[in-house]
Amino acid sequence: MAHTRISNKMPPHIEPARAPIAFGRRAIPKLNEELASEDLVTRQCALASLCDLVHDPERAYETIETGCLENLKRLLRDKDSVVRRKTTEVLYELSVHNVGRDAFLQNDVILSLAELLDEPVDICRVNMHKTLEMLSEFTPGAAGIVDAGLVPQLVLKLPSELVEIQEIILDTLHFCLRVNVSQALASGAISILKEKLLHNSVAIRSKAAQALMGICVPLEGKNEVCKQNIIPILVRLLKDRHPEVAAKAAGSLMIATITTQGKYAALKAMAIPPLLQLVSSPVTEVSLNAIKAITTLAEAPEGRQELLNHVAVLESKQDHSSEIIRRAAGTAVRVITWKP
Amino acid sequence: MTSVLPPQKESTSGTYTFSSRPRALPNRSKYRDPVAELQEEPTQYGNIMYDRRVIRGNTYAQHILPVSAQPDPIEIQRQQEVRRRAAAKKRAKDQLRPRTPEPVEGRKHIDVQTELYLEELSDRIVETDVECQTDAFLDKPPTPLFVPAKTGRDAVTQIEEGELFDFDIEVKPVLEVFIGKTIEQALLEVMEEEELANLRGQQRAFEELRNAELAEVQRLEEQERRHREEKERRMREQREVLRLEKETAEKIAARVFAKHYLADLIPSIYSNLRDNGYFYDPVERDIETNFLNWLVKDVENTLDDHVLGRKVLDMLIREVVEKRLDVFQQMEQQHNASA
Repeated sequence: MAHTRISNKMPPHIEPARAPIAFGRRAIPKLNEELASEDLVTRQCALASLCDLVHDPERAYETIETGCLENLKRLLRDKDSVVRRKTTEVLYELSVHNVGRDAFLQNDVILSLAELLDEPVDICRVNMHKTLEMLSEFTPGAAGIVDAGLVPQLVLKLPSELVEIQEIILDTLHFCLRVNVSQALASGAISILKEKLLHNSVAIRSKAAQALMGICVPLEGKNEVCKQNIIPILVRLLKDRHPEVAAKAAGSLMIATITTQGKYAALKAMAIPPLLQLVSSPVTEVSLNAIKAITTLAEAPEGRQELLNHVAVLESKQDHSSEIIRRAAGTAVRVITWKP
Repeated sequence: MTSVLPPQKESTSGTYTFSSRPRALPNRSKYRDPVAELQEEPTQYGNIMYDRRVIRGNTYAQHILPVSAQPDPIEIQRQQEVRRRAAAKKRAKDQLRPRTPEPVEGRKHIDVQTELYLEELSDRIVETDVECQTDAFLDKPPTPLFVPAKTGRDAVTQIEEGELFDFDIEVKPVLEVFIGKTIEQALLEVMEEEELANLRGQQRAFEELRNAELAEVQRLEEQERRHREEKERRMREQREVLRLEKETAEKIAARVFAKHYLADLIPSIYSNLRDNGYFYDPVERDIETNFLNWLVKDVENTLDDHVLGRKVLDMLIREVVEKRLDVFQQMEQQHNASA
């Protein structure tokens, strides 16, 4: 009698750690069913295959359309750590695509991810934080994270986590701060960031300075920053060897010195000489932020007096290749030479 | 065969009275003779289902015996009706029952019984019983292997190495597919990472711009605010100064006017006072007050004395006149009396 099977032996299972992927359209639904199975090994294999498939945007869209998110959410609470790790990887890959992010927001995946904040296994936490960071990079995602009240929890986690996770958290915070600063301020973010500014790792320093820049944007942030004496630390960071740290420090200064209080604090901390040095740096961001910081300092009469001696440096920048630097330099010169 | 007492006859000695006497079932042969059945006398039996004495229906409702022992005329009527209907039904049924059709003309139906024409078969064939039984099975020896006679010719073949296929040539497409897939996968991954890196680069550039612009915006805002405040302050000062000036001018004007007004005041006061007699000559005053008082009092006293004197004189005169009148009246009376 004719069978659909060609030979008596089943085809060889090439990779035992991965579930076999069905052909074409059937691949994702079959994996979805396997995700819901009781057997641990099936689940693990299915997750491994899904992880590979989801890199492709079309597959990612299919995954979301067939409603795998419910199963994935459930698997986040699974007892086995391999399952959790693979699930977080899948979610990370999904969050890279825009449809994934939208689907996350619609299906409340953020809350399920937040349950993993206290996860004992490190790699799961890393993936989870990476997912959150990817999610926060676009505005509705950041708004979602803020709405879920995750900002205070993230801030509290900051001192106690591993270094790489701290970097990711700082990035997430940086994006969330664009949406809403008050929650972070309320949980004492500034004091925590102050310690991080003096950390050994370059990445952490620069990211902490970046986060500070975000916090300084509203008025309360600026006042807090001046009150906690962060400006001298920032001035010290201006002399840092690594350009990204200096750039971000200059950025924070440029925003924090907008208030009169900030201006005088910066002038007291002798911010002008390092800033002038940074203006001639080759990295665009550094010189741009430095020029802007100088502009704000020039608003104060003492600053203006001191900077009148250094107008030449800024004028030389006016022929720079990048348009923004030209504009910034022009503004700076104008402000310095303004007479009331 | 049946032993049935006529049901109407009731045994006087028995404790029971039967309307349907129990009877033993007759011992009938299995295959009944249809003729014999007809000759049985119909037994009358009563069905308790239709017995009036048996109460049917709900037992919790009272079964009220009829008031009189005699049956109700209505009851009698009803029973007669029922009986009539039963009879009618029976008649109808009888008529409907199929009967043998009426005999054809010239013929007549007669009941015939073939019993008389039965004859006994005496001619029987002799029969004998014979049995037969096979022996028990004996063990069968195994069948010998059937080897068909050999036909045809023997032939031998052997596959040497390299005769089926050439490995190197055949493996090429398989290898190509393998390598192609691997490289494709690798390419995809690299492309993905590159794309991500590009996106990040763009993001960074955008962020820088955004931060710079944000700082600019805030700075300008701050500047605006300060300038505005400064302007406000100066304007307020200016207004203060103006106000003070105005006040001073008003004060001066008021003062001048007041002075002018008051300049005329004193002479007019003096004239008023003088008019009202507030400035007096003390001697005159003194004379007026003291001297004249005394003078007037004295004059008054003197006048009073004069008046008193006159009064006294008047009284004198009156008395005298009265006395004279009396005297004259007396005289007149005397005169009249004597005349």
